[in-house]
Amino acid sequence: MNGKDCVAMILAGGQGSRLGALTKNVAKPAVPFGGKYRIIDFPLSNCVHSGIDTVGVLTQYQPLELNTYIGNGSPWDLDRNHGGVYVLPPYQSAQAGEWYKGTANAIYQNLSFLDRFAPSNVLILSGDHIYKMPYGEMLEVHKESEAAITIAVMPVPWEEASRFGIMNVDENGLIVEFEEKPANPKSNLASMGIYIFNYDILKKYLVDDERNSESSNDFGKNIIPEMLKNGEKMVSYRFEGYWKDVGTVQSLWEANMDIIDNPPKFDITDEKWSIYSRNTALAAQYIGKNAEIKGSTVTQGCIICGNVEHSVIFSNVKVGEGSQVIDSVVMPGVQIGENVTVRNAVIGSGAIIEDNAVIGVNEDPGSKYLSSMCTGGLVLIEGGATVKAGTDIPKGSMIEVE
Amino acid sequence: MIDTMGIIIASDINIPPLTDFRSASALPIAGGYRIIDFVLSGMANAGIKNVGVATKANYSSLMDHIKSGSPWDLKRKKRGLNILPPNIGNKNYFETIRGDLDILYGIKEYIRRSQETYVILSLGNSIYNIDFKKVVKAHIKNQADVTIIYKEMKDVEQKQLSRYTLLEVDEESKVTDIEVRPYYPKTNNASMDLFVMEKALLESIIDECYAKGNHNFIKDAIAKKMEGLRVFGYEHEGYTDKIDSMKSYYDNNMAFLSHDVRDEMLHSLPVYTKNRDLPPSKYGENAKVQNSYIADGCVIDGTVINSVISGKVHIKKGAMVKNCIIMQGATVGENVCIEYVVMDKEVEISDGKKIIGQESYPLPVSKGSII
Repeated sequence: MNGKDCVAMILAGGQGSRLGALTKNVAKPAVPFGGKYRIIDFPLSNCVHSGIDTVGVLTQYQPLELNTYIGNGSPWDLDRNHGGVYVLPPYQSAQAGEWYKGTANAIYQNLSFLDRFAPSNVLILSGDHIYKMPYGEMLEVHKESEAAITIAVMPVPWEEASRFGIMNVDENGLIVEFEEKPANPKSNLASMGIYIFNYDILKKYLVDDERNSESSNDFGKNIIPEMLKNGEKMVSYRFEGYWKDVGTVQSLWEANMDIIDNPPKFDITDEKWSIYSRNTALAAQYIGKNAEIKGSTVTQGCIICGNVEHSVIFSNVKVGEGSQVIDSVVMPGVQIGENVTVRNAVIGSGAIIEDNAVIGVNEDPGSKYLSSMCTGGLVLIEGGATVKAGTDIPKGSMIEVE
Repeated sequence: MIDTMGIIIASDINIPPLTDFRSASALPIAGGYRIIDFVLSGMANAGIKNVGVATKANYSSLMDHIKSGSPWDLKRKKRGLNILPPNIGNKNYFETIRGDLDILYGIKEYIRRSQETYVILSLGNSIYNIDFKKVVKAHIKNQADVTIIYKEMKDVEQKQLSRYTLLEVDEESKVTDIEVRPYYPKTNNASMDLFVMEKALLESIIDECYAKGNHNFIKDAIAKKMEGLRVFGYEHEGYTDKIDSMKSYYDNNMAFLSHDVRDEMLHSLPVYTKNRDLPPSKYGENAKVQNSYIADGCVIDGTVINSVISGKVHIKKGAMVKNCIIMQGATVGENVCIEYVVMDKEVEISDGKKIIGQESYPLPVSKGSII
């Protein structure tokens, strides 16, 4: 059997601690997004549409939900005889057994997986970014330039450049310098954490890096600087489309709002680049006699009897009569009672909001629910939590399961 | 319940123009489902792992919908969902199909090879959410040869009763007489065209009827043989109706708008259907939607009232859609006004047009029409 042209490895082990109660029981890539999806659907769908049929998903933190979600990979057309999707948790071997220490170590521990497919190139992805990207095009650039590594970069606003890993490139797009969060950036091209490596070179660097006890075994901190030092050919691939790191409650909320803008900042309706997800088909959404829905997305299984404005409503959500849901993200199976008001909130899966509750409307600087995770006045309600009838949850609160 | 198989003869009821290109069993209902989903889901919920589906013609839409079998957990290594082309073993077969018995004869090898003791046979085009486990249990308890599932049609006018096969059932649930679509109905027990029997009995019925040149299962194999068979009725108490005309197709879609029908039909036991990977539906700033079903993938910026809208439908600004059924992929232009219209797939109505049907006569628009 010939080796694969390119195998993708998705780093999906991160906790996403800045997402607060949303990632208490699930890894960040399994967090629901966009009405019908989970974050990991985006890199997985991108792989399939880019002709990459072999994908390893490296899990570590709270893997149960993610493992179950990925299953045999059939929703992404990744149930293949030779290839397909594999969930790769850390494991014990005869020599050692340890957690993934860093991004590079996670790949190092799975070199035997990669060897099975004998790939010419390996695509390294994060499991926590929202974007649509043709990896196939990037792979072509990588192969044509015969680079050791090709790194996807995107221009960011100059004033934000010091928050990113910045790539300084020459006129031919070759990377000449890499600066992690520079105070005085020389360029505004940020690394997207998307790398295509020549596999033999990747393997050599990972083995060397593992021998270095000083290393924190991280691509950004160790592998890429080392390659630069050694004068490897490092090419940048410029990406101009929508890309968002949904690392905080506010950025997750914003990215959801980006799909309902008119026209949307991020379009998920393109049939040629469908985002696939594991969904059971449910009844069509029922919109009640006194309902009003504007500037929102709603999906299957919902029963909407109240007002929904500028919100993203996931599957199987019920909104009772007389309730208002405005500027909010309501995840699967949430039950909202009657005469409830919800504003600027992210409500986790299966939460129950009882009648007459008021969420995200009033200010209360002394409230015990205020959380530093909830910037921008957003309210976060943990999946499975219950907000009792008539409760007033002030702006900036995080409500957890008791 | 693992000892029962299912056989579904998909309907060849003609509801022009909706059935010009598809079997009536593949007609969309309640926005997200097809009629066949209800019988298939009932079988799945009962734990049936061997289901054969056959039809006379118009395969493609139905096959596309059910082929993987996986929504009903019928993608199994052994048995699972079997799509049975009708021409097994006889080159001139298509000419000889005159009734459901001929189709059953065509699939007799599949039936013979199946190993279950009992069979649930579906010959109709009805919707229901039924617990088949209870039906088979009653069949065994009654020591019946054949059990026919029926619905007592209360408050239905005489003329409407003539649409059904009617059963006379005594107080012990024994069926004493059967009349197929009589002009003067004597009872209001309407057969749901669902039968339970031992597989061995079905095989001998098929064999005998073929040998005698009979074609119709209910008339030739059951109604004429009442003396020699223990035929029992099983009353279904929940919602059901047969989709056999434009009017019944329209009414049954609209029935789902009622809270009680929705609860019973969609939630008492789960109903499964094929997942189409559509994005969520999007409502614009001018959208006004009331008392309607909207499937995924729609873009709604107009007014939709008392309607059932399938996936990927685009309703533009200023449009008024009232009391309509719209199938997948249609586009309703700006300021269009439509009422009591049943619109087949991929219809386009350009800006400003007006189409008004009547409640008693919903107006059909053929697939792919551009108006």
